[in-house]
Amino acid sequence: MGQLGALYAIWLREVKRALRDRGQLVGGLSRPILWVILLGIGLNPYFRGEVYGETRFVIPYTYLQFIFPAVIVLNILYTSVQSAVSVIWDREFGFLREILVSPMPRALILFGKVLGGATVAMVHGSLVLALARFADVSLTWADVLHGLGLMFLLSFAMTSFGVIIANHIRSFEGFGVFSNAVILPLYFTSSSVFPLDPALTRAQALVVYPEWLVALVEINPLTYAVDALRGAFIHFHQFSPMLGPIIIAAMAVGFFIVALFNFRRS
Amino acid sequence: MHGTDTIRPATGEISDAIVRVDGLSKRYGRTVALDGVSLEIRTNELFALLGPNGAGKTTLIHILCTILAPDSGTAALKGCDVVRQPRMARRHLGVVFQEPSVDDRLTVFENLNFHGLIYQVPAATRRQRIDELLALVELEDWRHALVRSLSSGMKRRVEIARALIHDSAVLILDEPTTGLDAQSRERIWAYLMRLRKERALTIIVTTHYIEEVEGCDRICVIDRGRILAVDTPAALKAAHGRELIRVVPDDAATADAIRAAYPAARTPGTGAAGGDGAIVIEADGDAAAEVFLKKFGGRVRRLSIDSPSLESVFLSLTGRELRDQPAGKRERTYAFGRRGGEHTK
Repeated sequence: MGQLGALYAIWLREVKRALRDRGQLVGGLSRPILWVILLGIGLNPYFRGEVYGETRFVIPYTYLQFIFPAVIVLNILYTSVQSAVSVIWDREFGFLREILVSPMPRALILFGKVLGGATVAMVHGSLVLALARFADVSLTWADVLHGLGLMFLLSFAMTSFGVIIANHIRSFEGFGVFSNAVILPLYFTSSSVFPLDPALTRAQALVVYPEWLVALVEINPLTYAVDALRGAFIHFHQFSPMLGPIIIAAMAVGFFIVALFNFRRS
Repeated sequence: MHGTDTIRPATGEISDAIVRVDGLSKRYGRTVALDGVSLEIRTNELFALLGPNGAGKTTLIHILCTILAPDSGTAALKGCDVVRQPRMARRHLGVVFQEPSVDDRLTVFENLNFHGLIYQVPAATRRQRIDELLALVELEDWRHALVRSLSSGMKRRVEIARALIHDSAVLILDEPTTGLDAQSRERIWAYLMRLRKERALTIIVTTHYIEEVEGCDRICVIDRGRILAVDTPAALKAAHGRELIRVVPDDAATADAIRAAYPAARTPGTGAAGGDGAIVIEADGDAAAEVFLKKFGGRVRRLSIDSPSLESVFLSLTGRELRDQPAGKRERTYAFGRRGGEHTK
């Protein structure tokens, strides 16, 4: 009970701090609106399976539907990585010491922090779900539960990833720049805004896209996270359906272990 | 040079010691922060570490708090070694750090409750202690205020209250009054004195304000990483405190003449208040001032006599004044070391 209470305290602190930060909330709300309403609706008519009037493959979804799960991932990505700013904050403003001289084990401290950040990120990810009707995505409760589970795991993985970055960054300014420099490339190469055509073989895909881009998309672990969420919300997979959850879970465990290693050393 | 005038109480001398430090050394690069420090602190003692900036006080405190590993030597809190059993040692420890460490986006209550939770204080006890301690530091009215809206003196009080929510046996305060106005400083000392009356508590406090340590049980004078003396204020004054004659000579020639007549004379005045060229002579006997005046009476601008005080104890032990020393190279190195110890790598 005692250790759980301590874990709860750390989790609660992260959540409270995030809720009191208006800027974060505004970002969490405006980002999906921008991407779904503006970009999604704007590009929707141009997203067709035809080239020069000839249908190359049949697309079972609209661009809005296609981008919808990816915007969830984007929101999670931003919020998770930003929540790791609190790691720098604690270090620079002395609060880390208060935690370090407590009898709590280091692993539990980090676990509480990541759990708190992941909760906030998942909430921000869920905000996107409110836009489902605008994206013509019809959700069943089973879809939502399945999706929330994946979203939580992804939030946990990405928050751990943010903590790893934060451990190597000295200043707030540096973190802002660096996180953008990491988030956007990861996002754009995750097959989020354009699809790798599922009907094509790899050789055929290489005709449509340059080889380096296909390679980047395929080695980016987020590609599979986006794919897993597409599976949950629009029942469409570009890759094997099992691949997504496995890679998300592996990221959650792997990044947390690396973050813990860093945290112990500092 | 090393260890010639260091007072090293043999370990085990004090039977009810709650803190035992033995042969502790720590260096940051080539700078020696602690040089073989040994000391013992009794249960329920109010123990002061007195020394200028960069004397090694904070380094010693950080080792006791288990957040800095010593290069050699051992330290134990209530029998728990700070290196081998850090988590056990931390249970007995309440700390108020030199730099503020409250979360200013949480309220006063939330900060205290957070502390109670991570120290696993049961809910009922937690609520009761928070009420008691808020009353002690006179912050009941600020219970639900965000910490960022408080003054620095009030934040300090929150931190003192926080350090006492769990069953801390040893309360460590690292420069609790630095940067505060005189009124806040007085209040904080009043709380500490009241606390000692109310519960069994060992308090270790570091300061470079000499007037604050008069009420302590024992004082440890520390400078350049070494302990110069450990004793009660009265005993220190009796042993090291001399009457000091402080004179400001008219001109350089007189100053040289005075130095020639009193080879042991010192010119400590530097820093903000100094620079007036005062020469300090230790008075050996009651007639010393008279003898001096006979010789140089017409050639000094000002003469004053300091009766034995802790200030003079410090001066006689270290050869320098305690206050108004600018942060020297050494202090900057420590600051770097502290940052390095915590932020880098």
